[in-house]
Amino acid sequence: MEGLIFDIKEMAVFDGPGIRTTVFLKGCPLRCQWCHNPEGISGDIELMVKSSACLNCGACVRVCPTDTDVARCSACGQCTSVCPLNLRRLVGQYYFPNELANLLLRQKEILAKNGGGVTFSGGEPLMQSTFLLETVALLENLHVAIETSGFASQKVFKKVVDRVNYVMMDIKMVDDVKHTYFCKGSNKIILENLKYLKKGETPFVIRVPLIPSVNDSDENFEATAKLLEGSQNLLKVELLPYQKTAGAKYAMLRRPYKIDFEENKEPYFNLEPFLRRGIEVSIL
Amino acid sequence: MKQHIVKLREFYVEKKEHHAYRQKGVDPFYLAKEFAKRGLDDVQRAHERLKWVLEQEKPLVFKDEKIALLRTVPTIPEIYTENEWDALKRSYRIHEQGKVSNICPGYATLINKGFDVVKDEIKTSIAQNRATKERAYLDTLLNTLTLLEEFGHRYRVAAVEAGNAVVAESFAQIPQKPPQTLLQALQFFRLLHYGLWASFNYHNTIGRFDQYMYPYYARDMADGTLDEESALELLQEFFITFNKDSDLYPGMQQGDNGQSLMLGGLNSDGSDAFNELSRLCMLASLELKLIDPKINLRVHKKTSMEVLELGSQMTKQGLGFPQYSNDEVVIKALKQWGYAQEDAYNYVVAACWEFIIPEVAMDIVNIDALSFLKAVLDALSALARCNTYAEFSEVVKNKLCQQTSEICANTNGIYMEKAPLMSLMMKGCVEQARDISLGSRYNNYGIHGTGLSSAADSLAAIKKYIFEEQSITKETLIAALKADFVGSETLYHKLRFEGPKMGNDDDYVDEIATELLDWFADSLEGNRNDRGGIFRAGTGSAMFYLWHGSALGASPDGRRRGEEFACNFSPALHTHLKGPISLIKSFSKANLTRVANGGPLTIELDDSMFRNTESTAKVALLVKSYMDLGGMQIQLNGVNREMMLDAQKNPDKYRNLIVRVWGWSGYFVELDKAYQDHIIKRSELDF
Repeated sequence: MEGLIFDIKEMAVFDGPGIRTTVFLKGCPLRCQWCHNPEGISGDIELMVKSSACLNCGACVRVCPTDTDVARCSACGQCTSVCPLNLRRLVGQYYFPNELANLLLRQKEILAKNGGGVTFSGGEPLMQSTFLLETVALLENLHVAIETSGFASQKVFKKVVDRVNYVMMDIKMVDDVKHTYFCKGSNKIILENLKYLKKGETPFVIRVPLIPSVNDSDENFEATAKLLEGSQNLLKVELLPYQKTAGAKYAMLRRPYKIDFEENKEPYFNLEPFLRRGIEVSIL
Repeated sequence: MKQHIVKLREFYVEKKEHHAYRQKGVDPFYLAKEFAKRGLDDVQRAHERLKWVLEQEKPLVFKDEKIALLRTVPTIPEIYTENEWDALKRSYRIHEQGKVSNICPGYATLINKGFDVVKDEIKTSIAQNRATKERAYLDTLLNTLTLLEEFGHRYRVAAVEAGNAVVAESFAQIPQKPPQTLLQALQFFRLLHYGLWASFNYHNTIGRFDQYMYPYYARDMADGTLDEESALELLQEFFITFNKDSDLYPGMQQGDNGQSLMLGGLNSDGSDAFNELSRLCMLASLELKLIDPKINLRVHKKTSMEVLELGSQMTKQGLGFPQYSNDEVVIKALKQWGYAQEDAYNYVVAACWEFIIPEVAMDIVNIDALSFLKAVLDALSALARCNTYAEFSEVVKNKLCQQTSEICANTNGIYMEKAPLMSLMMKGCVEQARDISLGSRYNNYGIHGTGLSSAADSLAAIKKYIFEEQSITKETLIAALKADFVGSETLYHKLRFEGPKMGNDDDYVDEIATELLDWFADSLEGNRNDRGGIFRAGTGSAMFYLWHGSALGASPDGRRRGEEFACNFSPALHTHLKGPISLIKSFSKANLTRVANGGPLTIELDDSMFRNTESTAKVALLVKSYMDLGGMQIQLNGVNREMMLDAQKNPDKYRNLIVRVWGWSGYFVELDKAYQDHIIKRSELDF
């Protein structure tokens, strides 16, 4: 079956060990307010427009069947081939597993030689788990990592985690009421999956996006650290401070960036709950 | 960094307080007029100039510094009048400013012997029944040494007056006698380096500093004169000296001064030459964050990841260096070109990236530049009559060969001013009583190659769209190019953004680039210049990326009229790149040992890639991967586009912002806007 991919990034230096290429799978079941890859949320092909440098030459308007009415845009792509500055592009491209695998295997030597491999991210890669596993099966002995929200059925989660070599998973916040509010989904299933991850043998990294006044509290650091206690295969915890540039891509998708947290506030850090439990923690 | 170094850096680099001691400039032709009146020959003129400059100099020693010597004379005068220059230009080929430049002198030869010994050698040479002219030349060499000795003596006196015992002691020993310590060796170097600039030699490269200074370092470490900490401090003070007068050095832009220093390398017995001093040089530069000296690193299979990671730390600082070269490729290439084994293993870089051999090469590595894209555009008039791509590519090849044969023919009759001091540091000059400007063991000429990626992309577009898909007609293409794509927006978009592009690991276009480079090498093979040397093809661009680009009309890769080329060996500026992995693969496919004059793959990496130690180490892996693939040379810029844009608006906020330009690092705000803009565009080649 085909998979929908919105980007392939070579030498993604923060996506696992060594030199890696990251494949971003399109579509996500969550709707985290601060999502910095909004083009990964929808499972459909979309039009993205970098309007900042626009010359207002009108070339796109002339070919657009909907008079550039955003609401009626069907991502037909006609405007993408006329923009003189190449500011318009379709995000999302379908690949068959062998197509994607062949593309990645071209880099095999460099990836394998440098302790690296391939990372599947998103969106939520587990939403396309069949495609993901079919592709991984074709990657020969390449090291494979996933970056996941953990929001997937236990069956799917287990299948993928058991197959890959490295997992990076978010624990955005422990309080489920807040989680449901800010991410439009309960964290129950995520925490269940975390239990499986802790019991298993696949090495994993936990990531916490630090959103000012949402989850950067002592209480949340403490609760997160407590959850992670006693897992042999936990490599480290990485805290990712909120980037104010997150909103920029929403404009490119011609969607509003609606948040109800104070984005200008510096996130608060407290590493102590992790360090006290002997958990390696760093700020990325 | 030690307080002493912080203070020196502040005094010389940030506040430039020493500029207050600078004398007034003079008419650059003031001396020449007098020389012409006196009817002096060219050797005498060169000597008299150095004598004049040193006489004008006012020795200046500050109390706390360990390494002295400062230029207070801003003008190094010409030795020929304007009329004389015009006459010379009619009779000879004058390269750049007509001075000996861009070679690597053997500082250590003079430093290790001391002038007393060298004088004896010159006297021995004089004793060999010399012709009058040779005798006069050797006398000039003797007198040159005397000039520097006297100058050293005046510095000694000034040091005593300033109460600086350290400097006084150095000049009590050098230059007559060999140095007893690393400190004295560095002071000796400073004197010679100063003397070269005062002789109007420029792009005076530093060479394998970590090799020739190592014995002094090792001796001081062994007898306890130095420990690692004091050695680092001393090196830092020495590195600062390269930044004291550099604003007075000639170059295309501020920063383009050729003070390149080479570290490490493979010995001919297969061992690694990288030593403790090499590592300290990297550390010194890493802490100082100055554009000079420009650090280069020779890489080979034995180079440790630790060294490459240290290099990445430097890139992270935004220094734009080290520049890396691959010994396995470069040494092989030099041997193929006829350089002796021992010389090939001793290679360094000239001002930017051209490979030269210290002490034995009077190569002119940048004598001219081929424009690959011009060859393609010149061939377009024949497109209509070509029935296949093969036919068209044959025309391109002919146009390319036409260009190189014109370039070669235009190199005859080189004249350079005599360079007595430089000659004292080049092998054979004393024995043969022959000035280095007349040639050395190697007299090869290097030719840059510009616009390779634009040319390859253009040919790929023609091959694909005109001959294979037949989706664009020849007439449509020619008309669109003529109109600079006005009225052909869809075609323009297709060519510029959708066609095959070099840099994306696409064999279709990369093979064309390989072919273009092979033609370049083929066209020069077997040719000899009138000094008996060969012509070396290269992938460097120097400033020609702007000059050649502005001279050409629109091209089939969707490049508009006058748009600049990429810098050196790099993808075209409007390419949408897949990423660094595809990039290094694309740029390692060609037969690089045939086009090894020098010219690095030049990559701009967003500074976010250097956020932590782990990610910075991955940049080192990228460098290593390029070498593993058989890449020849690479330089990386850690850049932040927003910062550069802001620096254009608020230069005062960014006085220390350093960028790699084409083969050297400079301060961003001191560059002409065209060069600033080019780097900003390069940074937009986002992965």
